[in-house]
Amino acid sequence: MIAGLVLAAVVQTTLANGLEVTIVPDPSMPVVATQVWYHVGSANETKDARGLAHLFEHLMFGATSSSPSGEYGKFVTSVGGEENAYTSPDETIYVSEVPPEAAERIVRLEADRMRNLVLDDASLDKEKKIVTEELRLRTENDPMSRLLVRAQRALLDDHPYAYDPSGSKADVARATVDRCRRFYDAYYHPNNAHLVVVGPVDATREMAAIEETFGKLPRGGETPGDVPPLDSWTFPKDLELKDDIPPVEVALVGAPLPPAGAADAAAVEVLISVLAGGSVDPLHESVVEKRRKAVEAGIETLSLRRGGGIIFYSASLPYRRKATAMRELDRAIGELDRMDWLTEASLASGKRRLAMDDARSQVYAADRAEEIGQARWWEGDSRLAFTRAARIESVTKDQVAAAWKTYVRDARKIRVYIKPERVPAYIRMFGWLYPLFS
Amino acid sequence: MALPALLLAAAVATWGVDARTEGALVEDHRAPVITITVEFPVGSWSSWARKTHATDGFEFADTDPGRTLKKRADGLAAELSLDVGDRASSLTIRCLKDDLAAAVGLAKDVLTNAEYDVHALKRAGRERSILWRGNKTDVSFLMAQATARALFAPADPRRLPYERFEKVATDPKEIAAARDVLVRLPGRIVAFAGDLTLAEAKRAADGLLPAVGEAPPGVAPALSPISPPASRASRKDVPIRNLTQVYLSYGRDSLPWNDPKRPGFLVADHVLAGHFYSRLYVALRHEGGDTYGAGTTERGDVVPGSYAATTFTRADNAAAIEAKLAAAMTVFRERGITEDERTAAVAYLRGSRALSRQSAGQLLARYLSERRLGLPAGFLDDQIEQAAKVPLSDINAFIREFYDPAQFSMLRAVPQ
Repeated sequence: MIAGLVLAAVVQTTLANGLEVTIVPDPSMPVVATQVWYHVGSANETKDARGLAHLFEHLMFGATSSSPSGEYGKFVTSVGGEENAYTSPDETIYVSEVPPEAAERIVRLEADRMRNLVLDDASLDKEKKIVTEELRLRTENDPMSRLLVRAQRALLDDHPYAYDPSGSKADVARATVDRCRRFYDAYYHPNNAHLVVVGPVDATREMAAIEETFGKLPRGGETPGDVPPLDSWTFPKDLELKDDIPPVEVALVGAPLPPAGAADAAAVEVLISVLAGGSVDPLHESVVEKRRKAVEAGIETLSLRRGGGIIFYSASLPYRRKATAMRELDRAIGELDRMDWLTEASLASGKRRLAMDDARSQVYAADRAEEIGQARWWEGDSRLAFTRAARIESVTKDQVAAAWKTYVRDARKIRVYIKPERVPAYIRMFGWLYPLFS
Repeated sequence: MALPALLLAAAVATWGVDARTEGALVEDHRAPVITITVEFPVGSWSSWARKTHATDGFEFADTDPGRTLKKRADGLAAELSLDVGDRASSLTIRCLKDDLAAAVGLAKDVLTNAEYDVHALKRAGRERSILWRGNKTDVSFLMAQATARALFAPADPRRLPYERFEKVATDPKEIAAARDVLVRLPGRIVAFAGDLTLAEAKRAADGLLPAVGEAPPGVAPALSPISPPASRASRKDVPIRNLTQVYLSYGRDSLPWNDPKRPGFLVADHVLAGHFYSRLYVALRHEGGDTYGAGTTERGDVVPGSYAATTFTRADNAAAIEAKLAAAMTVFRERGITEDERTAAVAYLRGSRALSRQSAGQLLARYLSERRLGLPAGFLDDQIEQAAKVPLSDINAFIREFYDPAQFSMLRAVPQ
């Protein structure tokens, strides 16, 4: 039996050089998660630095002035741990999970590569080839990814979120050692990072190791440029795309959501949980179950630091006209505007769903560390990770209704229609019969 | 490497719910969340289940016409899922501790629901058809399909996931009757993980399931022997439209998990492809940047499936990477691994156990896996201790035998 535990004191501090540190000692966990959140992502890249945030995610596993290439990965493997890194539009995160005995060494390795990375032509050329293969795998050879990247570019125009966080092949080809060094010197500094450690650690010893290693690094670099919020961006009204997808036509109506740190962010979170968090989706009920106007329909959401999106979609066999599919979707969204889906009971369920997600993540060191890192960077304060449940609980029905009014009812909608390149003849000819037999 | 005492103490408690139904619990009081899993020993591999559509009856048991069952789950903020695996079918509900009684009541009603939504069943059939068409551009699917067709006889159920999906049955009476037989099969288990005591778990399990019945003929899967290497093509290309890369899979049949040589295999496979600086990663990624990924895949368990070394590269580099893959495999087979590599592999295997022991749900999932495969509890952990004891000479002898090129075939996904 694993007993319930009261967490020992959480350490939250900022070193003299600006590094923010959060340590959550939890002796009930078997592994220590260490995450370094660099507050720079693809959205902060200037035009001549496109693709560098992601390229750096690779280069950071190379040699430093005091250790050979691969030292970090080899150490983590030798103790049975896992390590990885992620580049998003908003941040680049270096993560590891190791047994507690190995946690201090991880701190030393992370501090070392924050400022002592060796950048040379040989290692850059090799990583450029590897990243190009990654782009071919993830984007070029996957129809859905191809569509997403094209939609992102077309919808966001020159907004910093318009670019694929992984970069493009042309971006990668343009990278030089000089450009990489400029990027590293600009953003890989303690004052642009947040170190989060969660797991069975002695906070005093861990803090001493952090002071001894990260504490010696000088403050430096520059603050990445800010990203305009999505809810005040002007989007095109309409977009049509085609690719080699299964034989369905997809109609989407979307609206932007506010930044993660907005005053009504908790109300938006509850709105999404009530509307789209359960297994019975009200849009699906209207379009698919009640009127049988599509084979699938539902509500999805996207979230980034400076805003997100709520997307209402339907998928029909490719015989229906775009105008008809869009009209059906509009009608269903209009029905949602009657607010039948928002009752005291559904509000309570939506909140309970979020409470359960929160409770489940408490036992996984990496999930906990990610919540803390994200609360600091997306919402402005790592302490918000510890008070999320109370903020969610305090949201009222009126606040959820107000969020719907602001971000859906009154929002300027974006319409996207996606068609398959290939449609079997029998579906083209007889697809219209589908509602008669469904 | 020692694991924290808290986790070592988190054992699986078991009891008999009735004469042929087991109960199991992993307690974890750190968060007020409970997972209930009810598992039945029949899945898609059973010809009886496919013929009677019992698996359809199980998979869609929560789709009543008014969606009242799903709405009840939503009301509790519970996650309800019904899954049909190859050997077993399971219902899982995750809920907050306060909702345990209501969640158990919901599970009971789902497992006895006879009011299927015929429209939802028809729609599910159409979705399967659309998904099947989507597979025509899915590299992983098409490679797995070609591998399954090479290894397994046409009627072997291990080929099923890669062949055209069977139609969903739409007669509610027929599928409800078959589902009722499925949920009464002996060998079922009611399992809990999370914030409840043994007494609470026993109370919750009592009366959840209908009385146990007898297993009808044909319930057990009928698997054929693996096609011998001589009958498989030594090379095969799978053309796929719009590709700009070539994907390689150099494979053979896998070693069953209960084979006495399996502990040595665990060490060998880790050295070959189990980490970011493994033999294949170094040869194919780190030395020349030919690829983003290299590794091995295994689709098998106590019965053999497929095992392959895999990688990919841009189309015009295919021949070069294939030569490097072949060279790396040859050196691996002929020279074996070193004592340092063996020691590091054992350290990795031992240390990595902690990652799969972070929650009660993970511990219970491992127990259920072992039980489903007919392995004793703790077997998978014990394999790691057995692996630590295999001497280097035995591992290298195993490598020479298992990685014999005569046992392997080269499969490639290539641009059409």
